[in-house]
Amino acid sequence: MLNLTIDGKQVTAPKDSTIYDAARINGIKIPILCHDKKLKPFGACRMCLVEVEQMKGRQIPACTTPITEGMIVQTATPEIVKARELVLELLLLNHPLDCPVCDKGGDCDLQNLTYDYKVDSNRFLDSKFQHEIDYNNPLIERDMNRCVLCGKCVRICDEIVGFGALTFIDRGIETKIGCEFEKGLNCEFCGSCVSVCPVGSLLARPFKFKARFWSLTKQKSVCGYCGTGCNLTLGVKDNKVLTTIYDENQGFHNGQLCVRGRFGYQFINSEKRLTKPLVRKNGKLEESNWDEALEIIASRMKGAGAEVAAIATPRLTNEELLLFKKMMIMAGSNNYDHAAGYAHAALSDGFVRSFGTTAAPSTILDIQKSDLLLVIKTDSYETHPVIGFEINMAVKNKGVTLKILSDKQGKLSRLPDARTLVHSPGSEVAILNAMARVILDNKLADGSVTDVPGFANFEKALAGFAPEAIAEQCGLSAVDIKLLASSYARAEKALILFPVGQAYPGHNAALANAVANLAIIAGKLGKEGSGVLCLSEKNNSQGAVDMGFYAVDGALDALQIIDGCAAGSIKTLFIAGENPLVSYPDHAKIKAALDQTEFLIVSELFMTETAAMADVVLPVCSFAEKEGTVTATDRRVQHIKPAIKKIGQSRTDFEVFAALIDKLGGIAPATPASVFAEIAANVPGYADMSYSALGDEGVFAAVDVKPAFVVPQQTAAASPESGKLALVTGSALYHNGTLSQYGEGPMHVCPEGYIELSRADAAALKFAENDLLTVTSASGSMKLKARVTSRMPQGLVFAPYHFGANPVNQVWSGSPVTWVTVVK
Amino acid sequence: MNPITPIINGLRITLSHMFKKPITLQYPDERPKVAARFRGLHALNVSHNKAKCVACYLCPTVCPAKCITVEAGEDANHDKYAAKYEIDMLRCIFCGYCVEACPVDAIRMTGEFELANYRREDFVYSKERLLEKK
Repeated sequence: MLNLTIDGKQVTAPKDSTIYDAARINGIKIPILCHDKKLKPFGACRMCLVEVEQMKGRQIPACTTPITEGMIVQTATPEIVKARELVLELLLLNHPLDCPVCDKGGDCDLQNLTYDYKVDSNRFLDSKFQHEIDYNNPLIERDMNRCVLCGKCVRICDEIVGFGALTFIDRGIETKIGCEFEKGLNCEFCGSCVSVCPVGSLLARPFKFKARFWSLTKQKSVCGYCGTGCNLTLGVKDNKVLTTIYDENQGFHNGQLCVRGRFGYQFINSEKRLTKPLVRKNGKLEESNWDEALEIIASRMKGAGAEVAAIATPRLTNEELLLFKKMMIMAGSNNYDHAAGYAHAALSDGFVRSFGTTAAPSTILDIQKSDLLLVIKTDSYETHPVIGFEINMAVKNKGVTLKILSDKQGKLSRLPDARTLVHSPGSEVAILNAMARVILDNKLADGSVTDVPGFANFEKALAGFAPEAIAEQCGLSAVDIKLLASSYARAEKALILFPVGQAYPGHNAALANAVANLAIIAGKLGKEGSGVLCLSEKNNSQGAVDMGFYAVDGALDALQIIDGCAAGSIKTLFIAGENPLVSYPDHAKIKAALDQTEFLIVSELFMTETAAMADVVLPVCSFAEKEGTVTATDRRVQHIKPAIKKIGQSRTDFEVFAALIDKLGGIAPATPASVFAEIAANVPGYADMSYSALGDEGVFAAVDVKPAFVVPQQTAAASPESGKLALVTGSALYHNGTLSQYGEGPMHVCPEGYIELSRADAAALKFAENDLLTVTSASGSMKLKARVTSRMPQGLVFAPYHFGANPVNQVWSGSPVTWVTVVK
Repeated sequence: MNPITPIINGLRITLSHMFKKPITLQYPDERPKVAARFRGLHALNVSHNKAKCVACYLCPTVCPAKCITVEAGEDANHDKYAAKYEIDMLRCIFCGYCVEACPVDAIRMTGEFELANYRREDFVYSKERLLEKK
């Protein structure tokens, strides 16, 4: 900490602060246009000029000048004010004065400063810019006439997003911000540039002309898509969520969001939302009322025992999941599960054995504190973009080494010095075990590793994972595996990340065990910046596991429930929010099973493919309409509050389950808060939590790790079928689950499924981009558009799973690698 | 004071008025001449055959009675215009703040004061009704 004087006030600030930071920490406001907390100092706008006595009273930019001990700073002398007025005058010389029609009005830094400094006239004369405005992009409107060249968009796209879509073009008065060859934007559409733009140059097109900034009610919430748990602020007007508002002080991610979080909110107020309960009468779903619908359900549930089963989406809150579970137990059944089991196997089956707990020991905050990141699958970026940004920043700003083990290249592979080992699909586990063997053989193992339970058996089992043999199986070189293993073991702090989810059946318990074994043997647990992070798929996937909403003690898991439906042993199936017809493996099988089910209840936001088959459809609320807690992937428990009133007659799932518990003869808790009190009392790690204690940023639930080695199973290498391509499923960057189909933003950018294949394969099979290809596997056939990219290795094709119109589960039946033939 | 004096004074004033021209108008036979700054029914100004309003929302923002509803739209040239502009005359207090707030001189108040109507919904003036009559 250094001492300095700002405006006559004695203050202290950390040694590496700039004058601007020091002032901000101490509550002194210096006007600025080109600064954002997350970005490196740039010094473009010259608004933050200050005088430092030691520098002979020259005017220097506060945002780029580091502080020194005893510095005496003046931030608002008459000379400085005059200089700032001049800067504003010069900016306003070319800036169009179209505030009445500019969506930034009211939230515009330039407008605010102009008002503060009362710059109401201009002594210079010049014409306004006449740049062409980009109206074509569906998400981001670029009007370079309004630009003040602060460079924030360029820097955030480069420093944090790591895409580099925007840059300065030309020099001097002709400088402008643009894309390569002055073409339109063709990027990830995360909207980070929009969020930091201090003027109206970059605007969110879905929000264009919808409302003025000051008329919006700002409601803090937690994003309802992936498990990262990003905080966001919803802009609400007339009971409609109209936009997401950027707040650089929000959350661990400092307000940074991805395309889903920023542009995918439209599902909340979608026209397609269900507003009334529907009951099937004479083979048709007809509008009904809650009393009738709940009465029918209760009569089916009462005393049904094991004939009733439940599948829930991990988008429900913790309170709802717990209540759902209680309701099922009350009906006499233990058959409940979520996410086809794929999204939680790594936790509920894998980590339980490795760590004695159902959670990963590390947090997202560890990413930037690490020395080496080992990412399993480049898809980690697509599944969790904001965690991807954290990885970007760790690599670019903190010099963290990035190693990737993946079946394909990806955006992460392009980071500086990132090393991607592209292996044959489905062989991650074998490689990780081989790495453990290398660490053991080269005496790089942690000293105390022999004390860890199960070590002897583990050591014995590793004999079968000689790196040479594994390398051959996996299409790698043994040297690469050895190098990776030794750099992982030698790094002082190393963190392993891997995504799980419905489209990643290979990321199962075996992978979790292999990852955990590796972390234990290299002694990478229990340290800051080290450990293992399992990236859970949905916003409350971790919570669903914590609430125990999965099959235990011989109860049927999700896929067994589907089998039970097909066999007739499950007569009533309650699906809350899940869309198995699209997201579970084997479309034909699921459809037959749901057809067979005597009574199907679906509570949903939309008339999904699954809901259309139901006997009773209950309209329920989105995350923006309910109260409760959600647990992010790193066990950050966060409290969400309603931002809008419920749509139509919809009710929260909490109210639905509470009403059913009442009807089944139980006593339902009155509010989510009372259920959370019960969670706090019973769920390990949640002790002492309450809604008030969670605050805006949530609280981490403690994870008690008791490491143990789990003996790896020898798995046969996936044997390639000749003449066929290996299909791997996964998540597209713009989507999460099947919900994002109802968000306009994601659908503008990625409206339909596709099959991504390598250039080599495309050339060999004579496919061109956008060709309609017929993909055939052992379980079925479907048509998908071709997308030819350079990131895929030869022989591998990739297809995202989110799309209900043409679900990939028509050809995918749940194996990590599906062998398909592709023809035009 | 003599208690009779004020009564006589009052009667004198009354008497004097009998010889003056009456202020009262025989409305509706006689029409008042409204002052230029009279604040009556609003009108949306027109320029180049379209409303000048750019839907900046300053009038609904400043309106103390919250009687103005604006919804912006995007026209073919990507410009902002008021797709919906409504004033609820039952709520309006004729303060004229909307006129003062308007940055583009799109709204003014006319001398029109006969706003009586039979149905409540007829008091909600849509954009078409508010557009200045030529």
